[in-house]
Amino acid sequence: MNREDYEVIVGLEVHAELCTETKIFCSCKNAFGAEVNTLCCPVCMGMPGTLPMLNKQVVDYAIKMGHALNCKINRVTKTDRKNYFYPDLPKAYQISQFDIPLCENGSIDILMDGQVRRIGITRIHIEEDAGKLIRDDSFDGTLADYNRCGVPLIEIVSEPDLRSAEEAKMYMEAITNILLYLGISDAKMQEGSVRADVNVSVRPRGQTKFGTRTEMKNVNSFGAVYRAIQYEANRQIEVLENGGVIEQETRRWDDAKGVNFVLRTKEDAQDYRYFPEPDLLAFEVSEAHVQELKDSIPELPVAKTLRYVKDYKLQPVDAELLASNRARSEFFDSCVKLGKCDTKLICNWMIGDIAKILNERRIEIDDTALTKENLTEMITLIEKGTISNTAAKTVLDCIIEKDVAPQEVVKEKGLAQISDSSALEAIVQEVLANNPKAIADYKSGKTNVVGFLVGQCMKASKGQGNPAILREMMLKAIDTL
Amino acid sequence: MEIDVRRVAKLAMLEIPEDEVEKYEKELSRIVAMTEHLPEVENAKTLIDTENKMQLREDVVEPSYPRDAMLKNVPQAIAGCIVVPKTVE
Repeated sequence: MNREDYEVIVGLEVHAELCTETKIFCSCKNAFGAEVNTLCCPVCMGMPGTLPMLNKQVVDYAIKMGHALNCKINRVTKTDRKNYFYPDLPKAYQISQFDIPLCENGSIDILMDGQVRRIGITRIHIEEDAGKLIRDDSFDGTLADYNRCGVPLIEIVSEPDLRSAEEAKMYMEAITNILLYLGISDAKMQEGSVRADVNVSVRPRGQTKFGTRTEMKNVNSFGAVYRAIQYEANRQIEVLENGGVIEQETRRWDDAKGVNFVLRTKEDAQDYRYFPEPDLLAFEVSEAHVQELKDSIPELPVAKTLRYVKDYKLQPVDAELLASNRARSEFFDSCVKLGKCDTKLICNWMIGDIAKILNERRIEIDDTALTKENLTEMITLIEKGTISNTAAKTVLDCIIEKDVAPQEVVKEKGLAQISDSSALEAIVQEVLANNPKAIADYKSGKTNVVGFLVGQCMKASKGQGNPAILREMMLKAIDTL
Repeated sequence: MEIDVRRVAKLAMLEIPEDEVEKYEKELSRIVAMTEHLPEVENAKTLIDTENKMQLREDVVEPSYPRDAMLKNVPQAIAGCIVVPKTVE
């Protein structure tokens, strides 16, 4: 069978660090990049005799994610102890959730080529992150930094509903977009704030029974998720094509080398011996509070994208780009609400010049002086023909720096477009006089030199000529020659 | 109930002399038999002790401990890190 005759099945377990002020079970600061072992206390270092106290904000953030992913919220829930011996976890167990996750049975919509694909969410639970181990070949030991120990995590487990590496990548992007929208995680993959355990299996198309799956732990970028799945699916297909069988095992993905290898087989699979966490009680979240958290969920990226396409007739790819950033899309929404200018033009400026400036300076729209009034006023000036697109870029540079009326900028910098034909006529004549070869080309049928001539006129007018009028005048003048 | 003492010992990282395996098997079996008599929890709601609810903590930072104090009883520290046996995974 060919590769195309196989279906790839993927399920993801995404771990996201929450951006709370403090850790999940103690009041140590939750921060990345501090000096080693300076954000630690006896609780997160697992000293005997200490007791954990659950951070309320962690519960709230997890419930928010549950609402965003259409989950059932278990108002009565508990924590469980997951036992394993590994020096990144000084207690020798992780406090997690086993049989009653905070959220379960949800779904997320992702867009694949403009089409909605619904992916099931099995559960979302809260747990603590482990410390960081630093290894060096020159040294016969491992160094432990426990600053990350006790940083709150949510684990989002998907159903095996993803059918390709592309879909898995889109799913990861959709999840991180929502985390950012809700403001519950900084979702910085390069800092390890979001990591995924990737489960992959393959089966011949048409077969309903799943194949044996393998798991790859801690894959930590969108690109790595994509590459890891492509590699593993191909590996499994090759094994099957050669008459082999897939073993249920944990494999490690080495993104630098682009290969994976066996970490653990089924025989020595971990036995975590979960049991109810004895140091914490079961707890209950009130119905009113769950509802309050639900009411705080904003319109999410996919819903926004679909609305932009339907209501404003934006191109799906533009709509998706605009909707992927909450601050920018909300700014766009507020501009549209003013009803002063064309919606598509606002979108083009938002995802074009404005996005370019923000991305270059690594800032967000709220960090600039740009107001919805000034942006829509600037676009109105373009629509009325008062300024050209080129002049508008100069206006934008000013109104992004300070809250000043675009009209003022136009006046101050002399950016108004010249539409007065007597002023433009002289320019047209001058350009024609200086370009006899272009005229000859035009006369011999190369009519596209008009573009060049209009360009020369724009240059001569220092960008202030109205290009549409200039073009019209140029055609008229050249035809009468 | 059959108890695989060797496996339990391995999971708990305990070393048990071969001649004591039988003794632990008997003891553990009795403990497990006792827990089987505990009443089943019928629904999650009954997990909550309404008289004595667990208080959640407000998300407010308090100072961490000085590193020197945290590392005081550590057998070996290098550059502020705790030295642990070489790990493979």
